[in-house]
Amino acid sequence: MNLQSILSILVFSPLLGIIVLALLPKTQEKAVKAIGILATLPALILSLAVYAHFLAGKNLSDFSISVPWIKFRGINAQEPFFTVSYELAVSGFQLVLVVLTAIVSTLAAIGAAKFIKKEWKGYYMLFLLLLTGMLGVFTAENLILFFIFFEITLIPTFFLIGKWGYFEKEKAAYSFLLYNGLGSAVLLIVIMILFAKTGTSNIEILRQMMADPSGPLKDGFKLGLFIALLIAFGVKLPIFPLHTWMLRVHVQAPPSVVMIHSGILLKIGAYGLIRFGMGIFPKQFESLATLIAILGVINLLYGAFLAFIQTDFKMVLAYSSISHMGIVLIGLAAMNEAGIQGAIFQVVSHGLISALLFFLVGVIYERTETSFIDKLGGLAKGMPLAAGFLLAAAMASLGLPGMSGFVSEFMAFLGLFKVEPWIAAVGTIGIIMTAAYLLRAVLGMTYGKARREFDGGLDLKGAELVPVFVLMLLIVLIGVYPSVLSSPLQATLETILLGLGG
Amino acid sequence: MENAWLIPLFPLLSFLLLLLIGKRMKEASAYVGILMTLASLVFSILVLFERFQEPSYLVKFNWLTIGDMHLTAGFEVNQLNALMLFIVSLVSFLVHTYSKGYMHGDERFHIFYAYLGLFTFAMLGLVISPNILQTYIFWELVGVGSFLLIGFYYYKEEAKAAAKKAFIMTRIGDVGLLIGMILLFWQTKSFEYSEIFKAVEAGSVSNTMITLTAILIFIGAIGKSGQFPLHTWLPDAMEGPTPVSALIHAATMVAAGVYLVAALFPVFSASKTALLTVAVIGGFTAIFAASIGIVQTDIKRVLAYSTVSQLGYMMLALGSAGYVAGVFHLMTHAFFKALLFLAAGSVIHAVHTQNIEEMGGLWKKLKWTAPLFLIGTLAISGVPGLSGFFSKDEILAAAWEGGHPVLFILALIAAFMTAFYMFRLFFMVFTGENRGNQKEVHESPSVMTLPMLVLGILAIVGGYVNTPWFGSFLGDWLVDGNTALGHAHIEGPAWIMFAATIVSLAGILLAYLIYGKRSIAPDWLSGKGGILHTILYNKFYIDEFYQITIVAITKGISYFLRFIDVFIVEGLVKAVTGMVQGLGNIGSKLQSGQVQTYGAVAFLGLAVLVVIYALTGGYLR
Repeated sequence: MNLQSILSILVFSPLLGIIVLALLPKTQEKAVKAIGILATLPALILSLAVYAHFLAGKNLSDFSISVPWIKFRGINAQEPFFTVSYELAVSGFQLVLVVLTAIVSTLAAIGAAKFIKKEWKGYYMLFLLLLTGMLGVFTAENLILFFIFFEITLIPTFFLIGKWGYFEKEKAAYSFLLYNGLGSAVLLIVIMILFAKTGTSNIEILRQMMADPSGPLKDGFKLGLFIALLIAFGVKLPIFPLHTWMLRVHVQAPPSVVMIHSGILLKIGAYGLIRFGMGIFPKQFESLATLIAILGVINLLYGAFLAFIQTDFKMVLAYSSISHMGIVLIGLAAMNEAGIQGAIFQVVSHGLISALLFFLVGVIYERTETSFIDKLGGLAKGMPLAAGFLLAAAMASLGLPGMSGFVSEFMAFLGLFKVEPWIAAVGTIGIIMTAAYLLRAVLGMTYGKARREFDGGLDLKGAELVPVFVLMLLIVLIGVYPSVLSSPLQATLETILLGLGG
Repeated sequence: MENAWLIPLFPLLSFLLLLLIGKRMKEASAYVGILMTLASLVFSILVLFERFQEPSYLVKFNWLTIGDMHLTAGFEVNQLNALMLFIVSLVSFLVHTYSKGYMHGDERFHIFYAYLGLFTFAMLGLVISPNILQTYIFWELVGVGSFLLIGFYYYKEEAKAAAKKAFIMTRIGDVGLLIGMILLFWQTKSFEYSEIFKAVEAGSVSNTMITLTAILIFIGAIGKSGQFPLHTWLPDAMEGPTPVSALIHAATMVAAGVYLVAALFPVFSASKTALLTVAVIGGFTAIFAASIGIVQTDIKRVLAYSTVSQLGYMMLALGSAGYVAGVFHLMTHAFFKALLFLAAGSVIHAVHTQNIEEMGGLWKKLKWTAPLFLIGTLAISGVPGLSGFFSKDEILAAAWEGGHPVLFILALIAAFMTAFYMFRLFFMVFTGENRGNQKEVHESPSVMTLPMLVLGILAIVGGYVNTPWFGSFLGDWLVDGNTALGHAHIEGPAWIMFAATIVSLAGILLAYLIYGKRSIAPDWLSGKGGILHTILYNKFYIDEFYQITIVAITKGISYFLRFIDVFIVEGLVKAVTGMVQGLGNIGSKLQSGQVQTYGAVAFLGLAVLVVIYALTGGYLR
């Protein structure tokens, strides 16, 4: 097969599932679910194949594709054409995120078969469209294409939350759309300005152009653009105080959507900050590094302290996500190998851990119809497996060595301690607080006297064990053998550090 | 020694096996655990003997690449590591065996053994780590093993609280260790012990930095080894099953802090301030915890405070540059304290209470347990001839020679207290009339008494590897000419040994008069010094103090931030949406339906466009 077409097939393969689903009658519940799950597999297999290709020592640029797509020029006929190409490619960093997306999506599709109780057909069609959007976001090589895929992720998510969520689902969906809509409006402005001023939207060309001091943009202007990017992706990440929308989404969206949302969609913010913020505007990033480090510590502590007093476990996890995204900022602000690698590790690690946690929350909610800590308690008696995995996932989340969370947290702090030891020292309070709020919540749910009678057979079983085992395995794999993740990243890191001036 | 890496893997295998198939094996799970730890023990003994003849052995491989930095993992067998391997695998094996009897009939029998396996794996991994990062990794993992086992009776609220407390309090210490380790890394560019020592020796790290990192790392040791002020989790940890207390909270994990300071001894000894900090914290903890131990009525809690106190002793030794004394006492303490806990477990097994007020007169009924408990008590009290006597003597000599007369006196008083509260315990449990209402008291099965017997023998003879009378074999071997570790044996003045003996005998005598012969009323302390007794009984109110300070402050910050989140952040958002709505309202009012207004606006717009067109010359740049 032609290697160049693989990425396109990978990105658009879920659409095939949408077509098949469209032809199926709504009432065929089993078939709809089966197709919904199966349609995520081509992307998963292909992404693993690309990873295998990399492991075999071959070049990832074999997969790059560039086809002229749109061409136009201004009113003035002397001007050169503005061209937008259809460009897909993967670097090591992008590949890691594509694999993560594919894995979490397949598992979320399995989860949805469990958690979604109505209109499976519509759900899976939107879900698969969302998958295409996410895969596109991580493989797009130019800003216009990136933006299109970025928008494609918004719309299905809006409907997935608004239709299949819990009681306040509409409100959550609207605040999701509003915040993210504003974020993408800012992003669009940045992209348009860059495109108009430079005549290209290719990320690699932009990167080189911005590195050139005699380039078309002045430094002050670049700083403005960078701050705009920081805000646009700051909504997504989210950075305090732009976070309130995601609390609602975490609580109101169905668990299988939160798996994707917390696992992947938030990571688009981190991806954008690294790829565009740091990649295209390295000098500007550098000039704001201290500010970003402080923002990171604020995120980390703010989320941790608030998670400490929540009564709903979903809210604990929502604030926990804010807190953990602070680690990404901390790592990036260090601007050295350790920090940036830590940030990327955190992106992947949190993706896996939060997907696992929300899957388990979904299971527990399904059995007990609550996620409030004080209404649960003693779950270890009736659901020993679920309780055990919940504790293990919490341990991963609080950065227990041997699991992925530790490696990322450790590297991020290692990096920041080199450049900003005092800010980093304040940040370490977050490490203690994370343990405090997670244990408070998880022990509150699983230890102690059982608050309710359980008939047998409520524990994890059958297909539910698949996502739990797979995610746990990956979390431990990265924790014990981090090279599996760090080796694809080395080339990307070098490029970024080159931009930062070594 | 090439195969030393297998030693931790046996218990890991036990953990994984039991998690997967333990449920079906039921109580046969014990055999998996026992066999695997036996394998570890056999290997550890082989490694120890090999290390007597051969030099240290180190293997490492690349674990994580960060740019051009390569972090390694691997294992190292040096004197200290080989000794620790032996101690840990021996106690773990004995506890695995003992638990077969003690945990008999428990619903989650296999889970217990799985957790024991996990802990043993982590502890063995900890003591063969060749770099501080790997030490930290296993350091955290032993913490989890301890957490899981403290909370083993998960349905008990006390166990839940104790497990949480243990985890969080040790984590506070761990953060100190983490920061210290990272700072040390950026100073020396390495996590490897050998590289760090080289850099410190070469003087490429500033003195302030050495002191700072050493103290930060020591904070980690404070947390793990239950030193003041992070000691309160350790007595609470007694909520775990008693074999766990013996293994984790007496012999191995809590000694990890001592091990850490010993493993990094060249760094500590490079800074006088750091050493003094270690000595002062250790000396203070020794007497502080001993004083609390005097009045406690729960058999396990007395032993727990005794552990805290004895760990303080070891720290005092290390801080007084008595490397050998600290490590020596770590070893003897592992034997006699594990023995005491297992014996206490046997007592609890027989009478189903932990309150010593409800015991008494058990000497005749527990024919094996009672004498073995007595051996442990004699050893810890420092009665001449038993192991504790020799190691305690080394510590006292080190404190004296290290130039800390105040700490020396504190240690001497603590030794008196130790002898007193241990014999108080002994007399209250085993002599006099039975104050409880236990009808049938049975001696434990031999699967429990045999491990105690082994430890009993070691508690007697374990001290003879390092005595002023027969030669300091252990010290010579541990130090082996390495000047950074100090002298193989500290020659104190002869009167120290007499003083120590007199002090411990005095403690025993006093305990006998009060609780054995009862010629002094037991309530003389609570009667005469009522306030003192209350303060001691309530452990100096440290827990309450933390409750109204740290816990309250944390909650306060949280509620304050929630206020910000709900009112200010959300409030701003509401303000923005309100503004947009207001604008929309104004806009909708413009939609009045009056054609004249529409026409005027349209005309105005056209005029503006024309002006712009005229000014820019027709082309917008």
